[in-house]
Amino acid sequence: MVDSKKLQEKAREILERDDVRRLLGWKRPTYGFEAAPAVIKDASGVDDLLFDATCVNNLASFITLEEKPPVPRGEEPDTRKTAIMAKGCDSRAIVQQLAEKAYGRDDVIVLGIPCSGVIDRRKAGEMFGDVSAPVAAECEGDKLILEVDGEKKEVDRKELMMDKCLRCRYPNPVISDELLADEVEKFADDDFSDVARFEKQSQEDKWAFFDEQFSKCVRCYSCRNVCPMCYCVECIVTNLKPQWTRRSTDISENTAYHLQRAWHLTGRCIECMECERVCPVDIPLMTLNRRMTRDIKEMFDYEPGVDPEAEPLLASYNPQDPEEYIM
Amino acid sequence: MSEEFEPNIVAFLCNWCSYAGADLAGTSRLKYPPNVKAIRVMCSARVNPLFIVNALQQGADGVLISGCWPGDCHYIEGNYFARRRFMLMHKLLEHAGVDPRRINMSWVSASEGAKYKEVVEETVERVKAAGPMDQFRRRQLNW
Amino acid sequence: MSNDRPRIGVYVCHCGTNIAGVVDVKAVAEHASGLPGVELARDYSYMCSDPGQAMIRKDIEEKGLNRVIVASCSPRMHELTFRGALDDAGLNPYYLEMANIREQDSWVTEDHDLATDKAKKLVDAAVAKVSLLEALEQKEVDVTPACLIIGAGIAGIQAALDIADAGFRVYLVDKDPSVGGHMAQLDKTFPTLDCSACILTPKMVDVGNHPNIELMTYSQLENVEGFVGNFKAAIRKKARYVDADKCTGCNLCAESCRLANRIPSEFEEGIGNRSAIYLPFPQAVPAIYTVDPERCLQLTKGKCGKEGPACAAACAADAVDFEQEDEVVEVDAGTIIVATGYDIFDAKRKPEYGYGDNDNVITGLEFERLVSASGPTEGHILLGRDKKGEGGWEPKKVAFIHCVGSRDESVGNEYCSRVCCMYLAKQAHLIREKLPDAEINVFYMDVRAFGKGFEEFYDRVRREGVRYIRGNPSEIYRKGDDDHTMIIKVEDTLTSTPLESEADLVVLGVGLEPRRDNREIIDIFKLSQSADGFYLEAHPKLRPVDTASAGIFLAGCCQGPKDIPDAVAQAKGAASSALILLASGRVAVEAQVAFVSPDECRGCGFCVDVCPFGAIELVEENRMGNIVGVAEVNEALCKGCGSCAAACLSGAIQPKSFRDEQILPQIAVLGVKI
Repeated sequence: MVDSKKLQEKAREILERDDVRRLLGWKRPTYGFEAAPAVIKDASGVDDLLFDATCVNNLASFITLEEKPPVPRGEEPDTRKTAIMAKGCDSRAIVQQLAEKAYGRDDVIVLGIPCSGVIDRRKAGEMFGDVSAPVAAECEGDKLILEVDGEKKEVDRKELMMDKCLRCRYPNPVISDELLADEVEKFADDDFSDVARFEKQSQEDKWAFFDEQFSKCVRCYSCRNVCPMCYCVECIVTNLKPQWTRRSTDISENTAYHLQRAWHLTGRCIECMECERVCPVDIPLMTLNRRMTRDIKEMFDYEPGVDPEAEPLLASYNPQDPEEYIM
Repeated sequence: MSEEFEPNIVAFLCNWCSYAGADLAGTSRLKYPPNVKAIRVMCSARVNPLFIVNALQQGADGVLISGCWPGDCHYIEGNYFARRRFMLMHKLLEHAGVDPRRINMSWVSASEGAKYKEVVEETVERVKAAGPMDQFRRRQLNW
Repeated sequence: MSNDRPRIGVYVCHCGTNIAGVVDVKAVAEHASGLPGVELARDYSYMCSDPGQAMIRKDIEEKGLNRVIVASCSPRMHELTFRGALDDAGLNPYYLEMANIREQDSWVTEDHDLATDKAKKLVDAAVAKVSLLEALEQKEVDVTPACLIIGAGIAGIQAALDIADAGFRVYLVDKDPSVGGHMAQLDKTFPTLDCSACILTPKMVDVGNHPNIELMTYSQLENVEGFVGNFKAAIRKKARYVDADKCTGCNLCAESCRLANRIPSEFEEGIGNRSAIYLPFPQAVPAIYTVDPERCLQLTKGKCGKEGPACAAACAADAVDFEQEDEVVEVDAGTIIVATGYDIFDAKRKPEYGYGDNDNVITGLEFERLVSASGPTEGHILLGRDKKGEGGWEPKKVAFIHCVGSRDESVGNEYCSRVCCMYLAKQAHLIREKLPDAEINVFYMDVRAFGKGFEEFYDRVRREGVRYIRGNPSEIYRKGDDDHTMIIKVEDTLTSTPLESEADLVVLGVGLEPRRDNREIIDIFKLSQSADGFYLEAHPKLRPVDTASAGIFLAGCCQGPKDIPDAVAQAKGAASSALILLASGRVAVEAQVAFVSPDECRGCGFCVDVCPFGAIELVEENRMGNIVGVAEVNEALCKGCGSCAAACLSGAIQPKSFRDEQILPQIAVLGVKI
C-alpha cells in the first residue's frame, strides 16, 4: 500500500527544488484499468499523483524518448533533473539505460516504489467487460480490491495480475534515491516454466506458432515505441539505407522485424512486458525474449538492468564461452 | 524423377584464416560441393548475426560463418565476440522454429584446407537434411 | 561516395586452363554484360599479366569505367596487383572488387555446369558490391624519430643499444635506481658459466654513456597518449634527494647513515643489508646514490639525529638535497618497446615447502646472491649468520627442488618457466665447486635441457656427482628443533620408492611470473595478456615481438619466461621492428577503417567496448545546442575488423568497404535461388 498523501508530499518537495525540471508519475485516467502517465512540471500538479495496481506504464521510456529541441542561440540547454517514479521493473529499465549511457546518474531522481503487482487489462476486460469510469485497485495480501464503476470488487490476485507480476523477480526497485513505501516480498519464484513449455514443441510447430502470430502484425511499431530499451536515433527496422526489412506486412518481413528486435534486445530486455501490453493484435511478443532471458541467466549468470556498471553482454566475452555447436 | 534438393548456402569467411583456408583447399585441388558461396569479411566479428536472418529471408537455406581459432584472431579477440554472438543467435532462431542445422559455424585456420572441405561437406549435408527453407522466403518483386 | 552512375568493367580471367578448363568463361562474361551498371565484360587468358592489366587501364581511359571487377584467382593473391592497375589509370584503387572463381570455384568443383553457375553468382555478388564501394585514401603519418623503452633489464638495454647505434634517440626508463634488472643479481649463467655481471656491466656502462640514450632511472611511466609514430609519454622522475650532477659515488654517505647496513637490501634478496641512502650494487648505472623515502629518518620523521642528516654531513661533494622533488617530464616517441621483465614466484604460496619459516630454505634467486663473490657472504655458502654478518655454518647436504610455482595448477601457473631446469643444474654445479664433499640431490619432474649446450651441461653436472631423483616433494619440514636438517618427503617415481631425504640447505627452483605490479602498464598501453598472464604477442608464431597496438613492441620475459640469449634475441627483434618504422619515417595507416555517422549514434559505447585496439572513444558532440556523447574513431589505431559494426544496434559505425550497405546486397544476390 502506498500512501497517496505521502507520495504527493514527496513529489511536491522534489518539484520545489531548483534543479528539477519535471516529475514523471501516474494519475487517474479518463476510464479503464490502466492509470495514465503524468508529466508534472510544477508543484501545482502533484495532487493528481497516485500509485496503485493500475499504474502499469513503464515511465522510463519517457526519459529516453524525449525529443530535445534545438537550443536557441545564446541559450544554454536545460540540464535540470527528471524525477521519475519507478516500480521494480521500471527501475531495471533505468539501470539498463544508465549502463548504456543514455543519460547520467545525476540526470534523474529515482523515486522507487516497491510493487505487489499490476492489473492485466485484458484479463480485467474479460472479467468485468467495458468500464466507463477509471478503476482503482489495491493489493491486499492475496487479494486485489477494486472499485469498478462504483462497485467494490474483491478478486484473487492470481486471476487479475499480469503474468509478469506472478513471477516477478524484482518487486523492489533495484535503484532509487528514495523509497516511497516499505519493501515487499517476492510473490513467487520465476522458474521460466513458460519457456520450458514452449520449447518442448517441434521446430515445425514453433514456426507455425510464430507464423500465425506474426501474420496478425500490422507493423504499427507500438512494441518498439513503448520499449524502454528501444531509443536509437535511427532505428534499423525503419531505415531505408540500408533497408534491412521492407515496409510491407508480408509474413517474411514481419518475422524478420520481430527477430531483429528480439536480437537487439538479447542481453538488454528487462522483462517489463510493455510490448505485449500495448500490442493491438495481442501477439505474445515476449515468447522470444523470455527464452533469451533464461538462457543468458543460465549460461552467463547475466541479468540486464541490475548493475549500472555491468558490461553489456554482447560487448564482452569469456575465453571459456561455450562452443559445442562450432565445427 | 524428382530432383534431389540442392541447398543454397551463404558463407561468411574471415579474410585471415577461413578465407585463406578455403583458398588452400582450392590450391590443393580438393573437391567439394558448389552449394556454398562465400562473402569475404575481414573478421568473423564483422558478421552481424542479423545477416543470418537476412540470408534466410533472401532465400538461402542455410548459412556458414567461419573464423580463426580462439586465440589466433588476427584482430586479437574478434572471434571471441563472434562466438558469443552466434551462440545466442542460434538459441533465438531455434526458439523461433528454425531448424538448427541451418546455422553453422566453424573455426578454420589458414593452413586447414582439408578442414574447410570437410566443413563445407558437413554443412551441405546438414542443410540438405533440413530441407528447403521456403517458409521464410521474401516475396521477390518482379521488376 | 561517388554519385556518378557506376560504369563497371568486368574481366573474366581464363588463368590458362585453371579456370577456363572448368568454368565457361565466355558464358560468365556474357552473363556479366547483362547486369545493371556493367558497361563491358571481357574474358582473357591471364588478367594479371602485363597485357591483361593494360587492357584494364585502356578501358578505364577510353570507356570511362569507374568500377572494375576481376573474376579470377583469390583477392589474397592479386588484389594489390589490380589495385595498382587502377591507380596507374588514374582510378581510385579501392574501386576494385574481385570474384574468386579459381581457388573457391574452378579448382574445387567437379561439375563444369555447376562451376559455371557458381562463377556467375560470384560475379553477381561482386557487381552488387562494387557499385557501392567508396573511394579511399591511403593516409600516412610521420614517425617521431625516437623510441621509448620501458624497463632496463638486459632486454631493454639491448634494444636501446641497437636503436641508439642506428642513430635514433632512445628514452630508457626504469623504476629501479639502477639499470640491469634481474640479470645483475645472477652469479654465473648457464650453460657457459659466464659471469653475469661481467657480461652485463659493459652494456650497462654503454647505455649510461651513449650519446643517443637518455637514461631515466628511478622513474615511473605515468601515462602514454597518441598512436603509432606519435606517442606522448609522461614520466615521473622520482626524487632521489641526491643531486645527480654532484654525486661522485664515494659511499661515505651510506657508511655514515644512522641506519647503516640495517635495511634488507632488495638487490640482495634480503640476505644482505643496505643503508637508507644507498647504491643498489657497486656496479650500478648510474652510480648515483638514492635515499629510501620509506626508511630514511629525515624523510619519515623529519629529523635525523641531533646534528641533522648524517649523510649530508659526510658528503664531501655536498650532493645530498632533501628539498628535491619529483619531476614529471614529457617525451615524444614514434615507437615504444615494453621490456618490464618478471617477478619470481613467491615461495610462501607453497607453505608445504617451509619457505619463510626456515632460514635454510631459500629461493633460486636468493641462492644467486649467496653464491656470488660480490654478495653478502662473498660467495661462501654460509647460512645462519648473525645480525652483524658473522658466524654461520656450511651445509653438507643440499637439495634442489624443480618446478616450484610452475606446472602447478594449484597456484594458478600451469605453464613451464623454461629456465629453472638449467639454472638449478648450474646452481648444483656451483655447490659442487664450492663444497666438493657435499651431498647434492636434485628433485625433478622433467629435465628440459633444450638449448645450445644445455644437454651437455646437464650431463657434466651429473658426472660431477649431482644426483637427480625424479619426484615432486609433498612436504619439506624441519627434522628437529635443535638441528638444521630438513626432511624432504618425496616419492622417487622411477623406482616407486617413498623417501625422506635429508638436506640442510634446500633451494626452491621458483618459476617466473608476470610482474605483480603490471596493472599500470597494462592499463596505460591496453596490453592484452595470454592465459598465463604474460603480455600477449600479436601472433604466436609470426609476430612474437609485436602487440595488437601498432608501434608498441615487446621484449624479454614480460612476454613469457626465457633465458638471457632468447631475451637478447627478442630485444634485437623488437629493436629491428621499431627501426622499420623509425627508419622509414612514415607509417601507412589502414585505409579500410571504421567511420561513425554521428547523427545516428546514440552514444552507448558498445563499439568502444568491443574494439580490440582501443581505437574508439566517446566524445562530446553538440547536437543543435544539446550536448550528447557520440563515438569517434581514431583512424591511426583502427584496423578495420568491423567488430564495432556488428555490436552497434543503430548501424551508426561501419567499416569502409565492408559496410552493411555493401554486404546486404551481396547476401541478397547469393541467397536468391536460381
